[in-house]
Amino acid sequence: MADITAAAPVASRPLKAFGRRILKDKLALLAAFILLFIVLAALFAPWLAPFDPYNTTRRPFIPPIWSEGSLPQYWLGTDGQGRDMLSRLLYGTRLTLVMGLASIVIGGGVGALIALLGVYYRRLDPYIMRAADILLSFPAILLGLALAAVVGPGLTAIVIALSIATIPDVARITRSAAIVIMGQDYMEAGRAMGLPDRTLIWRYLALNCLSPVFVFMTLRFGQIILIGAALSFLGLGVRTPEAELGMMASLGRDALFFAPHISLLPSLVIIAIVLCVNLLGDALRDLLDPRMRNQ
Amino acid sequence: MLNHIAQRLAMSVPVLLGVLLFGFLLLQLVPADPAAIVAGPMASPELVEQVRKDLGLDRPIFVQFGIYLSRVLQGDLGVSLISNTSVIAELGEAIGPTAELMFACLVWAVPLGIALGTIAAVYRGRLLDRIVIAISVAGVSTPVFFIGLILMQYVGYHWGLLPFIGRGGPLWSAEGLAAIALPALTLGLVFIGPIARMTRTAALEVLSTDHVRTARAKGLSERAVVMRHVLRNALIPVVTLIGLQAGYLLGGAVVTETIYSWPGVGRLAVGAILASDFPLAQGAILVLALAFLIINLIVDMLYAVLDPRVDKHG
Repeated sequence: MADITAAAPVASRPLKAFGRRILKDKLALLAAFILLFIVLAALFAPWLAPFDPYNTTRRPFIPPIWSEGSLPQYWLGTDGQGRDMLSRLLYGTRLTLVMGLASIVIGGGVGALIALLGVYYRRLDPYIMRAADILLSFPAILLGLALAAVVGPGLTAIVIALSIATIPDVARITRSAAIVIMGQDYMEAGRAMGLPDRTLIWRYLALNCLSPVFVFMTLRFGQIILIGAALSFLGLGVRTPEAELGMMASLGRDALFFAPHISLLPSLVIIAIVLCVNLLGDALRDLLDPRMRNQ
Repeated sequence: MLNHIAQRLAMSVPVLLGVLLFGFLLLQLVPADPAAIVAGPMASPELVEQVRKDLGLDRPIFVQFGIYLSRVLQGDLGVSLISNTSVIAELGEAIGPTAELMFACLVWAVPLGIALGTIAAVYRGRLLDRIVIAISVAGVSTPVFFIGLILMQYVGYHWGLLPFIGRGGPLWSAEGLAAIALPALTLGLVFIGPIARMTRTAALEVLSTDHVRTARAKGLSERAVVMRHVLRNALIPVVTLIGLQAGYLLGGAVVTETIYSWPGVGRLAVGAILASDFPLAQGAILVLALAFLIINLIVDMLYAVLDPRVDKHG
């Protein structure tokens, strides 16, 4: 009996293998480093930022240090309101990452949970999948527009919209992974041992379909950041003076032709985040999907 | 195939109802009393009550929803709070430009994406393949607005090659073509990446199947093998992908319209939401959702044409 329980459990091997593989894959390694750097910079923004990101008393439109007319204390110059760009970028990255993480955790969590319940309690499955199909019919950007119209523009509207948009896709991926696990002998064994549903669903089912769901959520995270930034860019997200990368890019539009750094710097940070996340996600997927690895 | 389409149509009914319910709820947010507005500023309280009855505003909420549905079906979406013109008229002017923009994007981005993906698959592992992969990864990682801003700044402003504000005229006139070039380029550039990537994966899969080996063994030229046996089979998942990316296209269009002041539905929707013009926002979102459903329906039909198996199961 003890042997059977020991068989159920989660493989820690993929993580180790991923570590080994990523050391070999130089591109993914580079992406991991850049991402780590960005996340740390965002995390420690209050300590790293040289100035108050809301202080507007400086001269506006100071260019970054590599252009003519720059001032040495403002590495990345100032924006149209005379705020230090570097400080705002640090805070903006923070808010953008929080927006993406909150959405993927909430949406992914709900999506995975309902899919697991659907697979475990067969009766629920058709209803859950039908609901997911309907949700899938609403593109994220439309949900964002609609929610911003109802609750008013703001971070809340964006996070709700992005979460809802994440639910159906994660539910589908989780479902297909969980169906395979349900057919495994150890599920049957666990049931025969009289383990409670909660243990079976959580320890046996959920933990074992974690890796494909995690890969999917990684790849999805990049998309979520892009959509969130686009909604912010449209003015439907964070309100001024708060800094968020998409919204910062939008603020610089009027000054695009004489102070392009105000728009382009935040855009470049978004690209760096999404590119690194995508490269890491691809590396993860190659690892877990042997068919892709051989190509 | 008819069966298949009917099934898809039936599936979009709950979605459509959901969108309409949302539009109805949005109208409930209008701060003013609609009966008082319709009755006019000089109306007596009795008259306002009378109007309220006439409009059905004193009835239960689900009856009001029914009334809303019948009004929408008759093309009455209310009146804009800002411009005081009918929402349907404002939308009518905006739908054309949006359709134009999407067409102008798809017409070059889809063939180019498919071509790039096929080339990458045929030259798998070589430099050409790597370049295509790099382009598509960069494409799916770049926000639409960044591409738009860069094109606008360099092609539009510094080099002065193309106009970048508003619509120049109908698509078939020289001004119209010039004006749509940058918006269509912007929207297309973000769309090529996913298409090329998907085509590559699909084509690689087909390349390794037995029927391709047979075709080669028959002595067909490589060109014939790729065109006739690989591409046609690879197109099926690609068409599905384009359908799945319709939301992406729509989102890109909203951003592109806003950047280039393109007078389309997306720009109208964003403007209405920011101005709390609920009736107009409701109408614009309704139209965008409808556009999304229609794109998906067209994709489904294409799918049925390309994949004969759909027939039997449909």
